[in-house]
Amino acid sequence: MAKVLMKGNEAIGEAAIRAGCLNYFAYPITPQSEVAEYLSKRLPEVNGVFVQGESEVAVGYMIFGAAACGERVMTTSSSPGVSLMSEAISYIAGARCPAVFVNIVRGGPGLGGILPSQGDYFQATKGGGHGDYHMLVMAPDGVQEAVEMTMKAFPLAEKYRGPVMILGDGLIGQMMEPVEFPDDLYVEPTNKDDWATNGMERRGSSTKNIVKSLYLDPATLNNHNLLLKSQYEQMKREEVRFESYNTDTDYELLIVSYGTMSRVCKTAIDNLKAEGLEIGMVRPQTLFPFPEKAIHDAAAKESCKHVVSIEMSMGQMVEDVERSVKGKKEVTWFGQCGGEVPTPEAVMEHIQTLLNQNQ
Amino acid sequence: MQIHIKGLLVITGNYGSGKTETALNLAFNRKEAGIDVAIADLDLVNPYFRTREIRKSLGEAGVKVILPEEKYMHADLPILAPEVAGIIRQPSELLILDAGGDDVGVTVLAALGDALSRQTVNMIQVINPFRPFTDNVEGCLKIMREIEQRSKLKMTGLVSNSNMMEHTSPDDIYRGYELICKVSQQSGIRIEFITADTRLIPMLDMNRFECPVLPIKRRLAFPWN
Repeated sequence: MAKVLMKGNEAIGEAAIRAGCLNYFAYPITPQSEVAEYLSKRLPEVNGVFVQGESEVAVGYMIFGAAACGERVMTTSSSPGVSLMSEAISYIAGARCPAVFVNIVRGGPGLGGILPSQGDYFQATKGGGHGDYHMLVMAPDGVQEAVEMTMKAFPLAEKYRGPVMILGDGLIGQMMEPVEFPDDLYVEPTNKDDWATNGMERRGSSTKNIVKSLYLDPATLNNHNLLLKSQYEQMKREEVRFESYNTDTDYELLIVSYGTMSRVCKTAIDNLKAEGLEIGMVRPQTLFPFPEKAIHDAAAKESCKHVVSIEMSMGQMVEDVERSVKGKKEVTWFGQCGGEVPTPEAVMEHIQTLLNQNQ
Repeated sequence: MQIHIKGLLVITGNYGSGKTETALNLAFNRKEAGIDVAIADLDLVNPYFRTREIRKSLGEAGVKVILPEEKYMHADLPILAPEVAGIIRQPSELLILDAGGDDVGVTVLAALGDALSRQTVNMIQVINPFRPFTDNVEGCLKIMREIEQRSKLKMTGLVSNSNMMEHTSPDDIYRGYELICKVSQQSGIRIEFITADTRLIPMLDMNRFECPVLPIKRRLAFPWN
């Protein structure tokens, strides 16, 4: 297919259709509403279903219902909406149903503001809902990657039978970039007959499939949690994704950043390189599982004096960076909240300050 | 060829067609040509990349800017600055009304119907052939009908804003021009002008166009540029 110019939100909607998702339930909220707007036009053209729920709480359970039936299903929202869905996300993880959640993050806490933010890092990677569960979380840095990740999210959700999240800051949803959709579009759904409530008659079976998250027997619940844990361990082995930038140099400092922020950092790195200063960057593409080893190894490089986590949040990912670096180098945070994205100049100035302190 | 647009100009088009970039560049261009220009942000739909983000440089260039109050700068509320109706009644030499996208975005114009009914209104449709739903004549005509119905105004001109960001080539500009030529033939609406990034202007064969070309310098940039 030829390239088109799309907003991230529209492209995520189109990518879902092309990944075979014909069930989309959502409630509008800035800065994500264009996904719903786009899919309300597009889904009827492909015999898909779009329902605008009466709230994000309702949407969360519509997703649970459709996923339990073995349907490919997605919702999109932004921060406060995802908070409302978090209960359902925990139930979906507990009941082991595949579903795709997209959070186009805005400023918080509370109603916050409508501008871009990365303040939902903890919510996405450390729970949000209750209980011992994780979501596989992918963070695109632009419209093309948002398409790729959305299309991958469905088979990954099915592989692990759990919720997968695409975490993009508001700019990822709102900005327009040329984008290309792969020609090989529809990914065949996996066989869900062994667990989905998709009809005994349809699958020619005499056993009921029951989808639930309730396990009253303590030993059974413990085993259930051990199974989930083993899946999260498998994700850590098989699904870690990251990009290294300028790390083939003798960089003096290592940046860790993701999403829109990483693009600002790339500009800063390019500018500093032109001035003769080498800075490396690891950009996590999956936030859970986190690229611990990549960051650990990149920080261990002898030339590297310092590691800085640059975020559009008040120091969330920095905790995972510290955990990865394991005290080998000093790790600090830099960032900004509220919607103004730190400029390349601000990043460059901060790096210079850090390096001067390390002299 | 020169752009001759004057009076009251409403800029419409499908969502993401480049209305605001067109409006802003037209405002700067006409101001430089010595025309008294005012621009009003009527975009009640789009939360990011709006005229209000560059109010300062517009003001410095001497363009009169009519925006919602500063404290609502980052609100996603449908606020229409109260002075808009007044300025429509006494427009500057060129008054640009930058409407929101699609038919939804021009609903606000119907609310200004009383003020608009006493004026000659030019309404242009901005078309980017690389956007979903307007890559063909039928799509462009459909959105034209929807905009006319919602705004209760008639389309008077077409603008091609063929844009693939930094990947735009001269061929893309020709493609956009060819598309609006066909839309113009079928609808009977005249071509007002086309746009092209300033970087592309020296590469274009201007003899291929029977309309003026507005040079575009991107005003609403990404934070990493």
